[in-house]
Amino acid sequence: MTSSPKGLSDFVAEATEILDALNRDLSILDQRRGEPLDPGLVNGIFRSSHSLKGLAAMFGEQRIAQLAHHTEDLLDRLRLGRLDLTDPVVDALLESFDAFQVVLRETERQEHSPDATQRAQAVCRKLAQFSETAAAPPRDDALDRLDLDASVRGVLTEYEEHRLLENLREGLAIWKVRAVFDLANFDQGLGRLNSKLKSMGEILSTLPSADPGDGTGIAFDIIFGSRTAAEKLKSALAGISASLHPLLLSPEREAAAPGGAATLAVAPLPSRARPGSSVSPPRPAVESRLATRKDPPAEAESSERLLTQTVRVDIGRLDSLMDAVGELLLIKANVARLADQASQSGKPAFGKLWGRELHRESRLLERKLDDLQKGILEVRMVPLGQVFDKLARTVRRIARESGKEVDFVMHGGEVEVDKLIVEALSDPLMHLVRNAVDHGVEGPEERRLLGKKPRGQVSVRATQRGNQVVIEVSDDGRGLDEDRIREVAVRTGIVAAEHAAELSERELQNLIFLPGFSTASRVSEVSGRGVGLDVVKTNVSRLSGLIDTQSERNQGASFTITLPETLAIVRALVVSVSGRVYAVPLNAVSEITSIAESDVKTVEKREVIGLRGKTIPLARLARVFQLPEKARMRHFMLVVGLAHRRLGIAVDELLGQQDVVVKPLGGRLRHTVGVAGATDLGDRKPVLVLDPGAIIEEVVNPERRPELV
Amino acid sequence: MAAFADILKQFFYAPDEDIGELFKLPAQAGQMTVFQPEESAAEYLAFVLEQESYAVPIAQIREIVRAVPLTEIPRSPKNLLGVIKIRGEILPVYDVKVKLKLRERAPIVVGLEGEAEELPGSARILIVRDLEGDIGILVDRVLEVIRLRPSEIEPLAPGIGGGDYLLGLGHLGKDLFIVLDVHKALS
Amino acid sequence: MPFKILIVEDSRASRELIVSTVESVSGVEAFTTSTGFDALKLLSRQRFDLIITDINMPGINGLELINFVKKSPAYRETPLFVITTEGREQDRAKGLALGAAEYLIKPFEAQQLEGLLMRYLNIA
Repeated sequence: MTSSPKGLSDFVAEATEILDALNRDLSILDQRRGEPLDPGLVNGIFRSSHSLKGLAAMFGEQRIAQLAHHTEDLLDRLRLGRLDLTDPVVDALLESFDAFQVVLRETERQEHSPDATQRAQAVCRKLAQFSETAAAPPRDDALDRLDLDASVRGVLTEYEEHRLLENLREGLAIWKVRAVFDLANFDQGLGRLNSKLKSMGEILSTLPSADPGDGTGIAFDIIFGSRTAAEKLKSALAGISASLHPLLLSPEREAAAPGGAATLAVAPLPSRARPGSSVSPPRPAVESRLATRKDPPAEAESSERLLTQTVRVDIGRLDSLMDAVGELLLIKANVARLADQASQSGKPAFGKLWGRELHRESRLLERKLDDLQKGILEVRMVPLGQVFDKLARTVRRIARESGKEVDFVMHGGEVEVDKLIVEALSDPLMHLVRNAVDHGVEGPEERRLLGKKPRGQVSVRATQRGNQVVIEVSDDGRGLDEDRIREVAVRTGIVAAEHAAELSERELQNLIFLPGFSTASRVSEVSGRGVGLDVVKTNVSRLSGLIDTQSERNQGASFTITLPETLAIVRALVVSVSGRVYAVPLNAVSEITSIAESDVKTVEKREVIGLRGKTIPLARLARVFQLPEKARMRHFMLVVGLAHRRLGIAVDELLGQQDVVVKPLGGRLRHTVGVAGATDLGDRKPVLVLDPGAIIEEVVNPERRPELV
Repeated sequence: MAAFADILKQFFYAPDEDIGELFKLPAQAGQMTVFQPEESAAEYLAFVLEQESYAVPIAQIREIVRAVPLTEIPRSPKNLLGVIKIRGEILPVYDVKVKLKLRERAPIVVGLEGEAEELPGSARILIVRDLEGDIGILVDRVLEVIRLRPSEIEPLAPGIGGGDYLLGLGHLGKDLFIVLDVHKALS
Repeated sequence: MPFKILIVEDSRASRELIVSTVESVSGVEAFTTSTGFDALKLLSRQRFDLIITDINMPGINGLELINFVKKSPAYRETPLFVITTEGREQDRAKGLALGAAEYLIKPFEAQQLEGLLMRYLNIA
């Protein structure tokens, strides 16, 4: 069916929900590698794949349907015990999940790239390989030998027959449970019966039939497969009006049927080694048969956006929005009435009373708009846990690949942040976590020599501080090598030799965010920590956030990102320079003072100013933005930045403070440097919001001045 | 949630400047049409830049707004005059006169006293659909919607100038309209 | 008197898709349930003129539903359509054997369903 845009978004929404559930289950599975298989978990993942397949088929989404089909097959083998949950298997499942994401995102954008198709197919092939390596017993006629009514067989779907066959092959006993309920409320009773049965085996099919007895009830025959002994089943069903009947399997001609009671069927197939007995070191034989994973480079994976463009919203939040709008309508009506009054001729309209009423409505309006605004922003909030799960998987994967033993600890996954921020954080956090494992945490041998526990730890912790969110990524590894940092800084001229000795530890450590530390040679010199950190910092500052690092030699390092909770609302300082008005996010400003022209000095041709004993660089916003300047005796200075990386920005006037909603500049405007977005302060004309981080970068590192068109 | 949508619409909807029944947009104004010769007449929006008359296929025009005060973007390309806000959306506004060689330098439409150039009262901003995000073009005056048949559009002879942004000369009675590819005129 | 159609389908998005097609035929009203169980309940309380059901559903599958429905005197004559996935020949065969009037294979064209509806409900 060619679907409408609404149909497509319904599909994407439902597929996303299923993938979310898949994600959660896969994370748990990943975490519990080496532990005995939890059938409930595998079943859950299996059901998700199954639903996804049906859904994709309905909407003609071949790629997703195919992926789902292969994933389903693999999970089938797992839950039947035909395949062990080894590392390659878990990895393949994780890959299939990633491939689902990629294809679903394309579908949402109505794109269909050959890259994504190939990737999906490659994953299908990989999943299919597990079907080959597992020993599949030859198809036999077990179903025909089962004591099953022809009428029952006639209503089993192919899929259900397959399930039944698999159960028989694995040596489970098949039962028929018959229960009779009242037509009025059969679902309660049936629900209870189902839960009981599900905990003891697999429900294969449910057949309703009219109760032969008195006609006011409804009977159900449940075909059920289980390893549980008959007595245990019977006692579990005591109290429910259900009767248990075994379905017998006649012996095959050659097979040896066990003697004795007819409650169990054919001898089970030779038992396979239970998962859990083969742990960490991957089996070389299997490894060599499977193709080495050369595909999607790390960056591609980490750059994948977590989620599609939909957000699941709490109905309560929407209800409060409705309420707020309703109240706004009332206020609007009142204002209209007041306006009517004023426009009536012959009446003393602008009396004091009228003025007071108008004031009151104005205050109410402000409050209600505030509520509405907050309400709308809340709708966009999603928990950070979504990103954290993905980080966990990356940590485990990299740790395995590099032979290190690393525990990943997460805290504060429930902290909620604007959806756009969560998406934008995915890359930087991935980077930090990857660095921590690759370069921070030492291998187990080295750790032992240092007297540390052989298992390293990488942790991510999110906390809420007022209307800011703080995310800390830390590890207990080598820490940063300050001597090397100092050396590199001096050598590349970032810091003059004399000043280098004066820099505090903290200031020194934070130098690694500079672009100068990101080149490959530098990276190895400062033990790999520099990789891409300037990019991380740029990403963070684009979110109006700040990043900081702290480290102790041989004890570990931590990176702290501080963000406003919502990208959209920012408390801003409104300033003017050369007649233009700008808004500066207040969370980036540490001080505001007044300075005189005469206070401005120069050092090596760059303007600086003294601030309580320290000298910091000064940037005149008019000059940075190439605006016409008028000579002034005094300026206002906003101090932005942290520690040694501070900058004073000189502006002409301070116009006030305001909460503003920032809209990022998109489309053709997205490359604007120094500007984070635009907002409006009441009158129609939009006001630009500054990006202090970018301005600091630009002024402090002149070689990074943006290319001007 | 039909009721919710209605309430929102009732509360927030505020039409922009009413510029009168200047034109009616065609029924499926969803697609961007590339100039393609067809047998039937196509509709164009005609406007004036420095006394010359230009025409752009109407399907490309999303709407027309008054030349409201722009917000300048620092260090932006010279042909970017600034941005405006329309119903919450921030859109860039461009000058095409320099590219069309009608002026040496783009006008400064925002700045301190004396810096900015005064725009004629008839000045308008055409909002044009674009894949990278809709954009605005500043024009001196909007004329009307005209219909031109391919036979009425004369391809440009070399020497008349043009580059790839001029698509031809439209003749309607005694009037001459220069048919423009807006997107090319922006680069 | 609009025709009442019951749609039994466990996927929400698929359900919506079918509903929008069904309701585009004038004079038709769609009712939906997401499980065979709910369908049974609804069937015991209301009369429907046509039933469309997915085959692969957990719990009571589409075949079981048809089987049950066809045994009830009220629905013996009611047309039943089944929706199946590609490749499931046996399911289709069973469906027809149990009394389904038509089958649809995912993904199917809206026009196909519309045409079938109009034919079986005798709508011009």
